[in-house]
Amino acid sequence: MTDIASRPVISPADVVAQADLSPDAAMQSAVEDAPSQPRKSGRSGVNGSVIAGAGLVVLIALWIFCVRVLRVPPYIMPAPEAVLNALWSGLAIDPASPKGYYLPLWSTLSNAATGFAIGTGLGLVLGSLMAESRTVEKLLMPYAFALQSLPKVAIAPLVVIWFGFGDGSKVAIAALLAFFPVLINSFTGLRSIEPEKIDLMRSLSATRFETYRIVKLPNAAPFIFAGLDMAVVYALLGAIVAEFLGAQQGMGVVITQAQSVSDVAGVFAALVILGVLGIVLHSSVRRLEHRVVHWAHRGKR
Amino acid sequence: MAAPQVSRGDSPPRARPLIDIAKVSKTYVTASSGSVHALNKVDLKIAEGEFVCVVGPSGCGKSTLLRMLAGLDTFDGGKLTLDDQTVSGPSAKVGVVFQAANLLPWLTVRENVRLPLRVGGRHDAANARIDALLEMAGLGEFGRRYPYELSGGMQQRAGICRALARDPQILLMDEPFGALDALTRERMNMELQRIWQAHRKTILLITHSISEAIFLGDRVVVMSARPGRILADLQVPIPRPRSFDTIVSHPSYAKLASEIRGLLNAQEGAPND
Repeated sequence: MTDIASRPVISPADVVAQADLSPDAAMQSAVEDAPSQPRKSGRSGVNGSVIAGAGLVVLIALWIFCVRVLRVPPYIMPAPEAVLNALWSGLAIDPASPKGYYLPLWSTLSNAATGFAIGTGLGLVLGSLMAESRTVEKLLMPYAFALQSLPKVAIAPLVVIWFGFGDGSKVAIAALLAFFPVLINSFTGLRSIEPEKIDLMRSLSATRFETYRIVKLPNAAPFIFAGLDMAVVYALLGAIVAEFLGAQQGMGVVITQAQSVSDVAGVFAALVILGVLGIVLHSSVRRLEHRVVHWAHRGKR
Repeated sequence: MAAPQVSRGDSPPRARPLIDIAKVSKTYVTASSGSVHALNKVDLKIAEGEFVCVVGPSGCGKSTLLRMLAGLDTFDGGKLTLDDQTVSGPSAKVGVVFQAANLLPWLTVRENVRLPLRVGGRHDAANARIDALLEMAGLGEFGRRYPYELSGGMQQRAGICRALARDPQILLMDEPFGALDALTRERMNMELQRIWQAHRKTILLITHSISEAIFLGDRVVVMSARPGRILADLQVPIPRPRSFDTIVSHPSYAKLASEIRGLLNAQEGAPND
């Protein structure tokens, strides 16, 4: 299991397995830890952080138990100190050093952010067109679902053929993954408008665009933010999956390189960083949502 | 003392009819129950400045009638004119007050009231008018609040301000106070009477409440169960300004109330007031 990914370019089948394993694990932790995050700013603020903190302590205690008492070998599960060491050596370093996490992190993040912007932008525009026009809906909806039912990691090699090993393929896959949740959520949100509000705008002889901008879009905002919440994590996942297929720089490269020298602690450290990043991104979207969609949180003030 | 007169449509008009509904029918097709005959040859003339209340059993088509006047629904027989013009769609002459206020929760109270001007692209010179409207409705201090920070009564006051923003000739109100508790409702009726006397709009108000209809209306129009037609058109000979304390002791009040109740009880699905 240590010599699967020795070079940036490896067989697609392995890539699929790899890509599905590692970043997903990171995402999983992000998704599971995250719900306690926004509650920090809400009513049960103290409780939320206490629960999250207690969970972390239990997790680390279990980890130490596995390593010390059950004697799980370090090439399967490294000791927390080893992971902490690896983290430290990557973080306590000159940000410009190629050995640190900063350059790959920046590379992955900027590609994920570009892909996020493109994918969610397209998702919102097409979702809006589909919501506004039954014809466009009938035309595009089957393809949207066809696209969504394909495993993205399986199309990834194709995207690499089209966009090369540079940033292009990372951005494209990030965009591809970020696209669907926003498409479906904005479509659903725009269609969920109460008929009374449409009546109101009709009684004022509002134009179609006025109705869209003043009534439908704000009404869909909670849905769109739920889509963005998923999309931001998917964009990160997409960028990393693309990096597994071959890249000069990025957190995906950090993981494959650590793996190629059996540096399991290094792999864990990179996963910890991605997990934390997922939590941070998710909670930023949540915070933004609370600011923008304030009327939907009226009970939680 | 004039006893309430039962007359049909052509009651003596005080001025030219601003709203003229002549033999209007409506049948619509629904997916669940097929074609529904909602209105059957409704005749109703409303003079400028008049306040007319419509009561009728649930589903009698009174809301449909209002929607047709607002240009939100089509009619398929008869004639429907506002100010001598056939209704072909929404008009700036008409302000609509919806059930349960129907404010946009993402806009402040002020922005909600200003919405009709914003939609028309009339941004200029509107501020003073909006302030005056909010002031009149006792919402002067609440302009920057959001609807969810207001009580139900205040929300509907904002809804009425919004309907008045374009200074329409006609106000159409579809059970505007149905969602409010009895006490707030009486207070809102007083408010509405005051607003109507100050602005002299022509108002058509739909309600389930017999007391509300008598309190507010110059005339109370009673509609039948579906297909809706007009059973009676009753004058309310009670001087204004009316108040709930004194109106119940007025000799016409009890007579009118029992007459309306009698007409409604003869229908199936009579309202409980």
